[in-house]
Formats: sequence, structure tokens, C-alpha cells
Amino acid sequence: MSTPTVFAPTTGAEVVDFVREAHDATRSLRIVGAGRWSDAGHAVRASDTLSLARLRGIVAYRPDDLTITVEAGTTLADIDAATRERRQWCPLLAWGDDEGTVGATLATATTGPFAETLGRPRDLALGIEAVDGTARMIVAGGRVVKNVAGFDLTRAIVGAWGTLAVITRAHLRLRPRPQVDETLAVTPREGFPTLPVAPLASFALTPDLAARLGVADARWLVRLGGNATAVAAMRATLASSGHVHALDPDAWSVLRRVCAPPSPAMHWRWDTLSRQLRDRFDPLHILNPGLLGEAR
Amino acid sequence: MTALATTLERIVGPTHVLARPASLLAYRSDALPGHRVMPALAVMPGTREELIAVMRALAEDGTPYVARGAGTGLSGGALADGVVLLALHRLRRIIQIDPVARTATVEPGVVNATLTRAVAAHRLHYAPDPSSQTACTIGGNIAENAGGPHCLKYGVTLNHVIRATVVLPSGEVVQLDRGDASASASASSAGYDLLGAFVGSEGCFGVVADVTVRLTPDPERVITLLADFMSVRSAANATSRIIAAGIVPAALELMDQATIEAVESSVYAAGYPRDAAAVLLAEVDGAAAGLDDDVRAIEALCLESGARSVRIAHDPAERTRLWLGRKKAFGAMGRVAPHLVVQDAVVPRTALADLLEDIQAIGVKHRLRVCNVFHAGDGNLHPNIPYDADDADESARVHKAMKEIMTRCIDAGGTITGEHGVGLDKLPYMEALFTPDTLDAMCSLRSVFDPTRRSNPGKVVPVRSCREWHATPAARV
Amino acid sequence: MTGTALPIAQSPLAEARAGLDRCVHCGFCLPACPTYLALDDENDSPRGRLLLMGALLEGSISPDDATIGRHFDQCLGCRGCESACPSGVPYGELIEATRATLATHRPLPFVARFILSVFAELWLLRPVLAAARVVRASGLARLVARVLPARMGMPFAMLASTARRVAPGYDPATVRLASTDDTHHMDVHRGRAALLTGCVMESLFTDVNRATERTLAVNGWQLCEAGDQVCCGALHAHAGDPETARTLARTNIAAFEQSGADVIVMNSAGCGAMCREYGHLLADDPAWAARANRFGAKVRDVSELLAEAGPRQPASVPGRATTTVTYDAPCHLQHAQRITAPPLRVLAALPSTTLVPLTDSDQCCGSAGIFNLVRPEVAERVLDPKLARIAESGATVVATGNPGCLMQIGGGLVLAGSSVVARHPVELLDMAYARAARAD
Repeated sequence: MSTPTVFAPTTGAEVVDFVREAHDATRSLRIVGAGRWSDAGHAVRASDTLSLARLRGIVAYRPDDLTITVEAGTTLADIDAATRERRQWCPLLAWGDDEGTVGATLATATTGPFAETLGRPRDLALGIEAVDGTARMIVAGGRVVKNVAGFDLTRAIVGAWGTLAVITRAHLRLRPRPQVDETLAVTPREGFPTLPVAPLASFALTPDLAARLGVADARWLVRLGGNATAVAAMRATLASSGHVHALDPDAWSVLRRVCAPPSPAMHWRWDTLSRQLRDRFDPLHILNPGLLGEAR
Repeated sequence: MTALATTLERIVGPTHVLARPASLLAYRSDALPGHRVMPALAVMPGTREELIAVMRALAEDGTPYVARGAGTGLSGGALADGVVLLALHRLRRIIQIDPVARTATVEPGVVNATLTRAVAAHRLHYAPDPSSQTACTIGGNIAENAGGPHCLKYGVTLNHVIRATVVLPSGEVVQLDRGDASASASASSAGYDLLGAFVGSEGCFGVVADVTVRLTPDPERVITLLADFMSVRSAANATSRIIAAGIVPAALELMDQATIEAVESSVYAAGYPRDAAAVLLAEVDGAAAGLDDDVRAIEALCLESGARSVRIAHDPAERTRLWLGRKKAFGAMGRVAPHLVVQDAVVPRTALADLLEDIQAIGVKHRLRVCNVFHAGDGNLHPNIPYDADDADESARVHKAMKEIMTRCIDAGGTITGEHGVGLDKLPYMEALFTPDTLDAMCSLRSVFDPTRRSNPGKVVPVRSCREWHATPAARV
Repeated sequence: MTGTALPIAQSPLAEARAGLDRCVHCGFCLPACPTYLALDDENDSPRGRLLLMGALLEGSISPDDATIGRHFDQCLGCRGCESACPSGVPYGELIEATRATLATHRPLPFVARFILSVFAELWLLRPVLAAARVVRASGLARLVARVLPARMGMPFAMLASTARRVAPGYDPATVRLASTDDTHHMDVHRGRAALLTGCVMESLFTDVNRATERTLAVNGWQLCEAGDQVCCGALHAHAGDPETARTLARTNIAAFEQSGADVIVMNSAGCGAMCREYGHLLADDPAWAARANRFGAKVRDVSELLAEAGPRQPASVPGRATTTVTYDAPCHLQHAQRITAPPLRVLAALPSTTLVPLTDSDQCCGSAGIFNLVRPEVAERVLDPKLARIAESGATVVATGNPGCLMQIGGGLVLAGSSVVARHPVELLDMAYARAARAD
């Protein structure tokens, strides 16, 4: 048995080669991005490490189409920087900080406070490139917003924690930033009032969280988006129901960092179909073995 | 087949098994024009128990089958060539409506619009609204991951499906969900997105026995606008500008002159200006406050892009009329010529204007009339060509033109289908769109659900693309 | 009727082929088809039948095939599919052409042949319907309907449902109207109208015919007679016997020309749909084509004429309890003639009345001419959901403007032991006028 290697490829083709070598030698791989997700409550028993950290960069940003193509190791901060000037954003605003990678966010399907309104990772990836456990380079989906050509490999691979394929590149849907974007700390006299449309986000604050945000008495952190009239109307509804206090949108970054879930002990559903899925894409179980607590 | 027919008759009763060729003639086609194939027999279960028993009987017999809802699909996905046709339209029970959780559990044969009607009293609706919604079934919508005009804002079928009970081709009954982590106090439970893989698998992964879908609250207010343009390019540009401005319209639909003409000559005449080169049908919905601002912004952007006029529907009746024209446009083209090719492709929105000109040029080159009616906001094109299939020369020109249009869409960074599915119709383009490795991976995904390849054989992925399949004997057909 | 078998290429169906080619098999017609919804087989849907027509023309099925013939027979001819069809497939024409084609190959069912021959001959029809009135008057009909098993009892229940208590007689000039403005304009003359009295209407719904005449008079129409009129021929045309239908049409055209009427009034939706199509029926008869077109252009449903005049709203009678009324659209009014609003305007004019919507009011009740007599088992399955929706509506009166529907729904209600009654909209208006006149 050779010594453990850390391999950090810079192209998708290198990933294919590395996985093929691993497959042929039956060496297992621990797949990491920025290294923020160590495991899912189960230890990965891997021979080598495949790091996507150097497979980083924006391949194509098409603001008029509201899409972006990025390498898996690109951080959420990289995307934010690239799209901010055109008043767009990537809705993958996952729990944690913006140093997390796109690859890891997709692989773990990590949501954030905006998932209900802006979408979940499983729905925001228009297409991906990924290398499966047999070293097939899968180019799934595409970069258009509507696509039903062929079986949906993107849906299968996103959220699979790297156990089916290593995501190397992704096409993501972007959204225009709302014309007016307001963050409010809300203390309603009674329950949270009903708004005619859902706000971008509403998050129930614990006293501890409220204190960390500097709004000790607030019960809710709310983000309103839309045109000026719409936001004003929602703000008025909230104000009439209790106390409202405007905050800097940075409060959301604080919240995302503070609430980042510690890797929970993940209970993975290993039914017949799930086992077969794993076996078809990674028959030798060389990708993140043990991560999802599966029996060998 | 006789022994199988007897077995099936025992399960569903003799009136719900059709075995005589004359009785199967009406089941030779779905809504894909120009394709007619004969099923070996048709079986129509009326209950979930019958469905499961039928699936087990088919599995035991090793017989391939094709599931069919209302037969409104436009890619030939429900064509059963010499195999069993499993018609699911009798399974049309609405099992449960939960107005508080905003969900409904239904059998696959429930018609899309029937579900919306059933929940209307709760001020809810089922958001995916394919143009065939008055006839198509929820089961068919799941098979195709159906879209519709309002998917621009509300998302496609997949975004509205929570969980499904599926009968696998083996006869095994499984529960599928999106695998989203559901946290409890101590641990969280999650899984692969098996439902995400299943939705849109075009009947190749199994059959839905029941499905729980999300219901959407009716918006407080809806405003529909019709802008008319003197060129298709300016209408396409207006589309891009509206989206780029950060407005999320509920729908943004474009119809060209040929389509306007067909609609205005039909019973669904909507009052579209016949002399316009294109009309853009836009809709905004949501909270009443601020909606007028969006309408004014859209109006201004259309006028800046060269719209001749922008009309706002005053009342629900006018709104319905404007929409009916759009939703019945395919059928209305039946007036122009005896046959019709209905196409479906997607391109990046910014490529729309160029592509529409290319499509027009391809039509002129092949002496064909192309009618465009499509979801402009998504870049989802529907170039349709009315023609006479009995005219061999014209048919050949139609096929050439369609191939050129598809190639052009792929070159522009698009895809070959946005909502109709691959079925039989788009099979020839799959190898141009996907790499051999990717097609092979699709075969692997299918094998997870249907290892013996008996469910909707010969559809979606060309058989030759599946390496594993060459290594094992083909299923008996 | 069972003439020599024509080669398919020369059949009426072959002549109608252009209409068939319009179908793009989109399937939008499926939810609009009562037999598809009741029988669950695409062969019993418009799209399926169009495919079968195509197969007949191709020669891939034989016109003698009894199973296929049954699918065509089972069509109610409600033409609900035409309202749903974006391609404008002339389904009504196609099904009639198909039936005419098949009729040269195989006889119609015995019951159908018998009924049609009775309707074609006045000397036969009059005594038959007179006998029916006697049975009805004796109270036997309702009794027999209750005693017999449902399917056999239905014809008697239908007959029983046509009974009316008292015919309201009043002088149209004495009717008090709700608005004095309207009263001042009582003497406006709108024109001369002649009523197609119809075979079933005049015999079993005599009161409805008189009500039609009185309500039209209240609304400014002058009535004139067309004495030599006969059956409109709809039953024959629908069943595949266009030749008899043509003979009847010619007689009617001549009779109404004689009457000097400006408009020809229909209170039976089925007859109205047929009479409007005389031009099409006689298109190949050079001596009659133009006259038939002129005739067709004068045809109006009574609800159209009443709605045109308002209709004049009768004064309400103080202290009268409110009646809950719902409306079921006859297929031949809604789909074949595209008349939807006028009957509702007639009902809206009724005082002390709450009009409630009827779910699926655009769906056929299963009557469809003589269909309910020839195919009772299918008619029953189509009627069941209709009765359920009527019960859900909470109405005590269901209004519908076609004798077939009045009898089908009325008979169904009798059999179900329901207290709800089926009435023609003009009957309801007439009763309200009568009350307003009496209260004077």
C-alpha cells in the first residue's frame, strides 16, 4: 500500500485521470473543497485526498442570461464579487461563510435562510460536470434555465455528498438583486403578521442570536425585496403589528456564520434504490467511503 | 400475449383490457403528430391495487410496457410499439387536500386543471400549467417534468412535487422524496434525490401510484399585458430587458405573426392585432401593492424596445381570452395545414433574437411556414411547422429544417427540449447534445430503477449509447 | 335507410374528410366528452372516434365491425368537443357523415329504427304521443316508473316528469312589470315570430309552447303560425339518415316561408341546432340550397329573443318565498349554437329567485336525442354525475331549454325520488308573468 497522497488538480481532465488511477488501483478518495465539511458524522476511510481547492475560477459569467459557470473550487465570495457590479447574486447563500466552495455547497445540498424563496441547491444547479467512481466525465444538464433532455443526472449527483461523482464544474442560475432590499429586526406584539407575499427571508431569532445581532429585544430577522412600493407596503404591515428596526444586510452574513450547523450525525437512507445508485456510479466505493455510514 | 391478456383481464375486468387490433386503433398515437404505432394490448387499471397487480403480472411475464396518461405528450413518449400500453387515466382519485399545509395527494390520472379546480375554494392552485392543462394528467406531467407559461416565476413540475409512491418495473412499491435533510433534535435524516431523478424520466423509471404536490396560494392580484411589435427582434429584446431589470413576471410569452394569424382564425380568437410581427403576452402577479409599478416598468421597457402599443387587460374575461389564445395556439395551427410539427428547444435568452431570425431563414430556405409561439422569458422556443405529411417532398423539407433548427439551438448553447421531453421524437439529437460518457451514465441511472429495461423501451436515450446493455441480452419485446 | 353498401371512397365520410384532417390529436377534447368520462375508453372519445373514422377511410377497419360501430353509436352528439377543439374540427358533421356511411352497411338498432320512423310520419307520431299523454294523465307513468327496475322505468319516469299542474292563462297586456320605464314601452313591436312547435314539444310540453308564445308577446313579439310544419329532422340526421332529414327540412322551409315570419323561434335546443344547419344539409340541392340558407339565418332560440328585449322583468309578488334555481346548459344550445348568456339573462329576470351555479353545467346530461332510449346503460352513467351536481347545488328547480334534457334530467329526478323539478326557462318566466298579471 502506497502512502496517502493529496492531489489538487487544476482541470477537470486531471480529475478524470486521478479518479481512473484510483479506480484501477482500488484506492479510495476523500473529496474536499475548502475543507469546511469534514464529514457527515461518520469518518471517511480513504486512502488519498482529492482537493478541489485549486479548481477555482469563473469560467463564464453571462449577466444578461442570469447564469454563471464556475469551477467547483470557486468560493461563494468569488461569485458575489463577480456579480455584485451587475446587481445580481447567486442564491446559494448557504449556512456558513462565503469561503465555502460551490462544489461543496452543491454536493452537500446545504441550504440557507433564503432557500424557501430563492431556491435550494438541488434546484439552482442548471447543470454540472462531474467525474463518477468509474472515471466517466459526466456533463449533465446545461446552462439554460429550462431543460428536460435526458435523465436528470444533475439531480442525482447534487446532494449526494460526493458518493456518486466528484463535481468539477457547475452552471448556476443567478437572480437580479431586488430593486429595494431591506433588512429589519421585527418585534411583533402578537404573532408574525401575514404578508401578501413571502418576504425574501424571515428567521425566528433566539434571545442569544438577537443579542449577537445587537437587537436584543427583536424576535424576527426579516429581509424584504421588491420595488419601492411593494417593500414600503410590507414594511408598513410589519410596523403596524409591532416594533420594527432597520438593520444592515450584513446581519444575514452574521446569522449564516453563527447558525452554520455543526456537521450533524447524518442518518442516510440506504434503501434498495439508494444502494443500487451508489453501486452503479461508484461500484468500488472509492468516493468518500464511509461518509454516509453505509455498510460495505 | 393471450395468456397475459387473460391474466390482466382477471385483474382489471374484461372491459378494461383491449386486445383486438380494431379496438387498439384509437391508442396508436399521443399528441405527437405523424406517429402511429400499434400497441400489443392496452390495460387500464382502475385502482391502486389493480395497478400494482398489473405491474407485477407484467414483471412476471417479462413484458415491456408504456405508461400513458391522457396521451397529450408532444414527443411520442406514450407510443407503445408492439408492447403493452398501460393507460392510467382511470386512476383519477384526489386522495387528500390539505389546505393548511398546502399540499394535495392525487392519483396519476387526475387532470392538471381538475386539481386546480378542486382546490380553488381554498384560494390555492397547482402552479405548473402546461398548455394542455385542461386535458393532461399529473402523472404525465411528472413523467415529462412539464412546464408551462407560469413556470417562469413558479418553477417546473419538479419544484412542486414533494413525494411520490412509485411502482417500479419489478412490481416493487417504493416511496420517493427529494432527500432533503429533515433535522430532528439529535440527528438529521437525508438521502439521494431519487424523486428529482424520477421526475422527468419519461416513464422509463416506473409508474406513479400517487403523488403529493405543493399547492400555491392564489396571488392577491394579477395583471396581464399585451405588447405588439413590428419585428420579432424587438419583442425578443424587450423580453431580455424586462428580465434584466429585475422584474420577475409570472409569464412572458411571445407569438409571431404566423401564430397570431392561426389563433385569430380559430374559436379562441383573442383579439391579437393581426398586422403585428409579434406580440408579447406578459403577466405579473403577487401582492397588490407595487404591482402597478412593475406594470408601468414593463410597459416602458416594451415601448423603449419598439412596441407599437401596450394593452392592459381590464377584466378577468379579457385576461382569460388573451390566455386562451396562447394556450390553444398549437391546436389552432391545425387549421393552417393537415399536419403539424411541434418543436421544443431552449436557448440562452440573449440568443433569442438571433435565433428567431435564423429559424425564419431556415424556413424560407426550405419553403416552409414556421409559426413561433413560446415561453420567451425562459428562452424556451416552440417553432412549429404546419405541413402536409402526404406530400413526400414537403415532409422531407420539414425534417431537414427541424434538424437545422435543433443544431442551431445546440450551437447557441441551448438544449433540445425544455418541457416536451425526448421521447421518440428527439432521440436523434441526444448524441449531438451529450457525450458518450454522459449518455452511458444516463443508462446507469435508468438501470437503478429499471434494470431489465422494460419500462417505455426505446425512449429517451439511444440504445446504442448504453455500454452495459451491449454486454447483456436485450429484454424480450 | 339500409341502402346498398357504398364503397368507402364515395361515402359521406370521404366527402367530409377535410374536416377530419384538421385534427392534430392534441386531446383537448377528452375532458369535454361525456362518454369518455363515463366509459373510460379512448375509443369512446372524440379523438378516438376521429382516429377510427380515419381508419375506416384507410380501410384498416371494416364498416361492418360491430364493436367499432358501437363506439360511433355511443356518441351522444352533444358536440361539447367542438367547443373545446382549437383546430375547429367539425365533429358534428363528421359523426353524422360516419353514421350515414355505416347505415349503408348495417341496420340501425331496432329501437332507433322504430322511433325514427314514428317521428318521420305525422300520422304515426300523433297517436303515439297522444297515447303517451293518456298514460301520463292517468298517473300510470309515475307508478310504473317506480315499480320497474331503474333502466326500464326510465322512459316512464321521463314521461311522468313532463306533467305540469296548471297552465297559467293570462293576458300579456295585463302583466305588471318591475320597472315603470319598461311598462311604457310595452307596445314596442319587435317583429313577427313563428314558433317551430316541434313534435315532442307540442305533444308532451304543450305548456312550454304556450309559455313561449305568451312570454314573447309580453316582450313585444307578434306571433304568427306556420301550419304545415313537421319534425325538424334532427333525430334522423344524427342517427345517419340524412335523406329523411332532407325531406322534412324541405317541408319546414316551405311552411315557414308561407308564415311570413321575420324570425323562426325555437324553444328546443336540439331543433334549433338542426334548423340552423338546413343550409348545410341541403347544400347539394340547387333548388333548395338558397332557401335553406335563408331559413337558417332566421332561426333564433327563444332565450335570444327574450334577452334581446331585456327580458321585461315581472313585478315581484309581495311575501313570496325565494326559489333557488340553477341552470344546466343544453349541449345543442351551448356547443352547437354557442348560446350561453341569454338563458341566464332570462333566469336573472325572475323575481324572488336566487340563481346558483351548477358545477359542470357544460357537461351533457346523457339525453342526446333518442340516445337515452337506444343506449340506456350509457345514458345512465352520464346522467348520474349530473344528478349529483344538481343535488349539491341546493337548487329546487333546474332550468334547461331542451325537451330531451328536460325529460332526461326530469326522469332521473323522478326515479331518484328527488323533489327537484326540471323546467324550461320560459316556463319560469311565464309563471312569474302570470303571477304579476293575477296580482293586478
